[in-house]
Amino acid sequence: MLKVFKYTLLDLTRNRFVLGYALLMLVIAQGLFMLEDDPFKALLSLVQVVMALVPLIALVFTVVYMYDIQEFTQLLAVQPIARRAILGGQLLAMAAALLLAQAVGLGLPLLVHLPSKASFILSVSGSGLVLVFAALGALIALRQREKARGVGIALVVWLLLVIVYDALLMWGMFAFSDYPIEPFVVPVAGLNPIDLARIMVMLEIDLAAMMGYSGAIYRNFFGSTMGMVAAAAIMLMWVVVPTWSGFRAFRRKDL
Amino acid sequence: MGKVLAILLSWLLLPTMAWAGHHTFHSGQGRTLKDLLETIAPGDTVLVHGEVREGTITIRKPVTLIAADGAMIDGEGEGDVLVVRADDVTIRGFRIRGTRISHMDDLAAISVQECRRITIADNHIEESFFAIHLNGAHDAVIEGNRVAGRPGSEESMANGIHLWKSSRATIRNNHVMHHRDGIYLEFVSDARITDNTVLHCERYGLHFMFSHGNLYAHNHFEDNGAGVAVMYSRDIHMRQNRFLANRGASAYGLLLKDINDGTIENNTFMDNTTGILVDGCNRLRFEDNLFRLNGWALRMYASSMHCDLEGNVFSGNTFDVSTNGSLAYNRMEGNYWDRYTGYDLDRDGHGDVPHRPLGFFTLLVERMPYALVFSRSLFVSLLDRAERLVPSLTPEDLKDDRPLMRPNPTAGHGGAGEHAGDPPENEDNKGPNAVAALFSPFRETSLAHG
Repeated sequence: MLKVFKYTLLDLTRNRFVLGYALLMLVIAQGLFMLEDDPFKALLSLVQVVMALVPLIALVFTVVYMYDIQEFTQLLAVQPIARRAILGGQLLAMAAALLLAQAVGLGLPLLVHLPSKASFILSVSGSGLVLVFAALGALIALRQREKARGVGIALVVWLLLVIVYDALLMWGMFAFSDYPIEPFVVPVAGLNPIDLARIMVMLEIDLAAMMGYSGAIYRNFFGSTMGMVAAAAIMLMWVVVPTWSGFRAFRRKDL
Repeated sequence: MGKVLAILLSWLLLPTMAWAGHHTFHSGQGRTLKDLLETIAPGDTVLVHGEVREGTITIRKPVTLIAADGAMIDGEGEGDVLVVRADDVTIRGFRIRGTRISHMDDLAAISVQECRRITIADNHIEESFFAIHLNGAHDAVIEGNRVAGRPGSEESMANGIHLWKSSRATIRNNHVMHHRDGIYLEFVSDARITDNTVLHCERYGLHFMFSHGNLYAHNHFEDNGAGVAVMYSRDIHMRQNRFLANRGASAYGLLLKDINDGTIENNTFMDNTTGILVDGCNRLRFEDNLFRLNGWALRMYASSMHCDLEGNVFSGNTFDVSTNGSLAYNRMEGNYWDRYTGYDLDRDGHGDVPHRPLGFFTLLVERMPYALVFSRSLFVSLLDRAERLVPSLTPEDLKDDRPLMRPNPTAGHGGAGEHAGDPPENEDNKGPNAVAALFSPFRETSLAHG
């Protein structure tokens, strides 16, 4: 598995997409910090970018790359290597490459311009999102033979999680506003990895507002150690379940 | 004007009168301070050495009490510590402690009853019930005192500096911590409250009730239960104060309730759950204030009318303006909004399209507070943007027609970011010009009412 990991990672370092991703994030983050006089405001804008862009890029990149290395995978599969090791090595390499790119593109500017707790939480949640969407991307690519269709599905998944989920949740809130739904809104929102990551960052950034009446509800939920554990567990579920499902698909797959 | 001159003259003459007779008191040498106060003549000065433990001491003559190094007066829990019942008394430089806690009487470390021209300066008042309590005192000066209460529950606490039915008081350079209200004024007029620091008070840092024509400026309020409350008063002028870190469900930087004709200028509001709550106020001017990183920068209830907002800077707040109605009778013009996305083709510094500070999301949270969970999500920002372009839910008239393109550099205290968290040095903004500029409009109003 380590060998597969090593060679895939070496291939990825020459991948223009990964370099482009690092550069894009770097330009956005650096640009925001330079445009805004107030670094904290740049952070606010950066949150929105990260919450929308990071999932999209992680998802599309993994899907496309999985199709691109299909021939290499076939080559590996005829060698005496366990399929588990092949996929494991590849997934780890992709995750590592994306995380590295993000550390350079997002982590570095944050560290230079605004070394704070909020920046740290943004980096960590961003990394969580990378892992979640890389896992989802791999699953899509393994389950879908056609590349175009795979990318299409990836886009639909991204759209569902980034906008449609919130829209449906809000519609539900309006529809059931006569009922005591307050305790359910936050946990249900937290089931979506993007919303979860955003809430964790908001708890730090919009802290003043969070201390208000309504905020206290989910500050109590996520602000406590118990809540942190729950949030991490949900994130982990989003990584583990697609990965596990991907391994299953790959084991039975007719390459 | 004649009255002002008379007061000034009396101040100039006071020291010469006070040195008429000079006594030195050493505690523990037979005589008590009470005895000495009985025998000395009006206008005398007493220099006090050592620790005085004589229960409640009442001053019935115009005298000056000055503490030698480390002098302390301990009331030993009898009741009040010092009670002043004469005009022209000065109490300077003491450490004072040992009031009793009472739910029937207003017991204080220094209790001033019905007199004029009292000076209470540079004292260190520790763990008292009320620290300084003025009842019917006029022309009092309270300056440079450090007042620290006992942290605890609100029932066993009282106010730090408490004024009741008093006029023309000067309260400056005091430092108040851990009381119920830091500074409390009821039926007080023409007071000047400047350069004070109030921290960690259970209720309000500064609290006005039925008090008209007062000024407070250059004060620092931080981490109090609910910031500053101004209630049922008119002609209050609030300038260059800092309101920081008042957080909680009913915590405000500044709470304005039924206030008429006040001005709120060059203040800094940072990191509060609600920067300012305006409830039932008329004809207020909000000018050049800085609202930064608050939950709600400004909540203005629809019961407020004819308020003017100009030159304020809104930056990094979760919500800039919120209301529970249409807010159509108030004017907003020439403020800086960091959410403004318009353009300035004629380059006059003002945006060419109006800004609508009340977003869709603000209204949503007003209706369903738990919708706060969607804060800064992509879906909500799309809806917000759409609503700003084509207002359908938000009030049509609620807009700033000439939003500033760049933040107004004079807004706020200046450099609030760097100072966040630490109390201000009282030395800043104390140039002669600054002080003159500070008080000149106040003179006009007080003369207008006198």
